[in-house]
Amino acid sequence: MNAIEIRSLSKSFRGMYAVDHLNMTVPQGAIYGFIGENGSGKSTTEKLICGHLVADEGEIKLFGKSYTDPGVRTRVGALIENAGCFPNSSVYQNLKMQALNLNLKDPDGEIKRVLEIVRMEDSARIKFKSCSLGMKQRIGIAMALLGDPALLILDEPINGLDADGMRIMREILVDITQKYGCTVLISSHLLAELEKIATHYGIIRQGKMIAELSAKDMEKRAKVFVSLKTKDTNGALNILKKEFNNVRLEGEYLRVYDEESTEKIVEFLLKNGHIVSEIHKNKVGLEEYYIELMSKKEEN
Amino acid sequence: MEKTCELNFEEPSFFKRIKSMLGVDFYRLFHTPLFYIFLAIAAIIPAIILGTSTMEGSEGIGYTSAWNIIAASKPLYVIESIGDYANMNMVFIFGGIMVSIFIGSDYRSGYVKQLFTTHAKKQDYMISKTITCAFSMACMCITYLLGGVVGGLFAGDSVSFALNGGEIFALVCAIIGKMIMSIGWAALYTFINVILRKFFGISIALSFFFGTGILIIGVAGVFDSLHIPNVLLNAFLYGSSVFACLDSGVFPLLAVLICLVVSVAWTVIYIVLGTTILSKSDVY
Repeated sequence: MNAIEIRSLSKSFRGMYAVDHLNMTVPQGAIYGFIGENGSGKSTTEKLICGHLVADEGEIKLFGKSYTDPGVRTRVGALIENAGCFPNSSVYQNLKMQALNLNLKDPDGEIKRVLEIVRMEDSARIKFKSCSLGMKQRIGIAMALLGDPALLILDEPINGLDADGMRIMREILVDITQKYGCTVLISSHLLAELEKIATHYGIIRQGKMIAELSAKDMEKRAKVFVSLKTKDTNGALNILKKEFNNVRLEGEYLRVYDEESTEKIVEFLLKNGHIVSEIHKNKVGLEEYYIELMSKKEEN
Repeated sequence: MEKTCELNFEEPSFFKRIKSMLGVDFYRLFHTPLFYIFLAIAAIIPAIILGTSTMEGSEGIGYTSAWNIIAASKPLYVIESIGDYANMNMVFIFGGIMVSIFIGSDYRSGYVKQLFTTHAKKQDYMISKTITCAFSMACMCITYLLGGVVGGLFAGDSVSFALNGGEIFALVCAIIGKMIMSIGWAALYTFINVILRKFFGISIALSFFFGTGILIIGVAGVFDSLHIPNVLLNAFLYGSSVFACLDSGVFPLLAVLICLVVSVAWTVIYIVLGTTILSKSDVY
C-alpha cells in the first residue's frame, strides 16, 4: 500500500499555480526525499497533504483513504516551517498540549518516550523560546512523533542545524523508520544529507513532479566519472574528446564519464603532452543528478 | 530489522474529537497567565467603579443600588449615563479581547498547524474554542461579581446593597442570564477571529467594537425615535445581555430562558458559519 498517493493536485495563489497537476506516490515505510528549488511547491504540497490548504483540484489519499478522513489524520505527524509551539510555554507543556490533542492514554509516558528519541530528556522544563534552533527543530520532530504516527511530514527539518545536529537528526529519522515502521516525507535543500537517508526521491519544479525514483534506481543511474585538472584545460579537453565519448568541463575540472581507469586517462594525456596535476574518481550523486535534471528542463 | 507500522485507522467519535481539543484548550487556558490576568481585570474594574463613587468630589454614576454594577435596574438599550453602561456586560468587552489574544496566539505561534493536521474536521476548532472562551467569560462574571461586592463595601453609604426578596431572585437570574450569554458572545468572537485570522489587530479591535454593543445601542436609538419596541433587540446578543437585569418586565426565569435561546441560536449560527469558512479556505 502507498502511504501517500496524489493525483493531479493543483493549488494556485492569485492565479499562479504553486502546485500544478502534481502526481506523487510515496510507498509505505519509505523515507521520501522531496527535492526542489525555493518556491517550487514543496511546502505547498505538504500543507495540502496536512489539510492546511484547500486544493483547487486533485485527489490526495493517505494509506488508501481520503486525506480528510479523521482516523487517518490522527496518525499524521507534521513539522512544517516551524515547530508550532507556544514560545512562553515549556517544552513539556507544548508536548503535553499535543499529547492531549491526540487524546493519548499516557501523555507523560509518551512525552518521555519522544524526548528520549530526540535526545532531549533533560530539556523538558526549558521554555521553548529559550531553545536553540537545533533544539526547536528536534522539539518539532518530537511533537510530530507523539502518538505513533504512521506518516511523518517534515519540511526542511535539517535547515540551520550544525554538523552534529544534522547527524543526530539523520539518526533519529533512520531510527523511527526502522524501529517504528513510520513513512517519512522529508523536504530539504541539503541533497548530500538527504542522500544518506532517503529510500525514494521526488523532484518537483514549478509545481510539477519532474522525476520520481527509488534510491536503488538512483544507484543504477549513478555514472562513474573521473575528474581531473591540467594546466591547459582547453587543450586537454580537445584531446580527451578524441579518445573518450563523454567529456565535459565543469569549472576548472575536466570530467571523463564512463571510464573508470584513471591510469588510462593519465597515460593518454601524458602521451599528448598534458601533465595531470589532480585526479579523482567520482560517482554522479543525487546532487549531480538533480542539477542535470534541472538544466535539461531549463533547456527544454 | 524493519518493522511495519500498524495501520489501524480508527475514526474518533465526535465526542472524542471535541474532548481532545478541549483538553488542549483548557490546559493552555489554565497554564498561561492570560486567563488569570483577565479574571483580575474583571474583578478590579467594578471594584474601582464602585469604590471611587464615594470619593469626595465625585458626582457618582447614578446607581440607585450597588447591585447596578452587576445588572441595570431596567433593560437600558439606549445609554444615557455611564451608570447605564457600567455593569456585568463589560465582561463581554474584556472577553472579546481575551478571545482575540487566545485565538491569535494559536495562529501566531503556528500551533494551529498541529491542531488542523490532527483534526480533519474544522468544526472541532470552532466548538472547542467557543466552549473554552465561554467558560472564561463565565468565570469573569464570577470575579466581576466578587469585585463588585468588594467595591460596594468600600463605597459605603453612597450606594446601598438593599434589595427585597423579588429583586434578589431577579439579580440571581440576571447573573445566570449574563453567564449564559457568554456562550453566544464566545461564539461571535471565535467567528470574528477565525475570519480575521490573518489580521490580529483588526480582529481584536472588531471584537472590542462588538463587545461594546455600540451597533445595538445605535439601532436602539433609531427604534426609540421610530417608536418601535426595543424588545425586538433581544434577538441579538447585546440586546438579551441587557435584558438580563433587575426588572426586565417579565418573570426573571423567562428572561433567563430568552438569554438561553438567543445565546444557543447565535452559537449554532456562528459555529456553522465559522466551520464553513474554515473548511473552504486555507487555514493560514
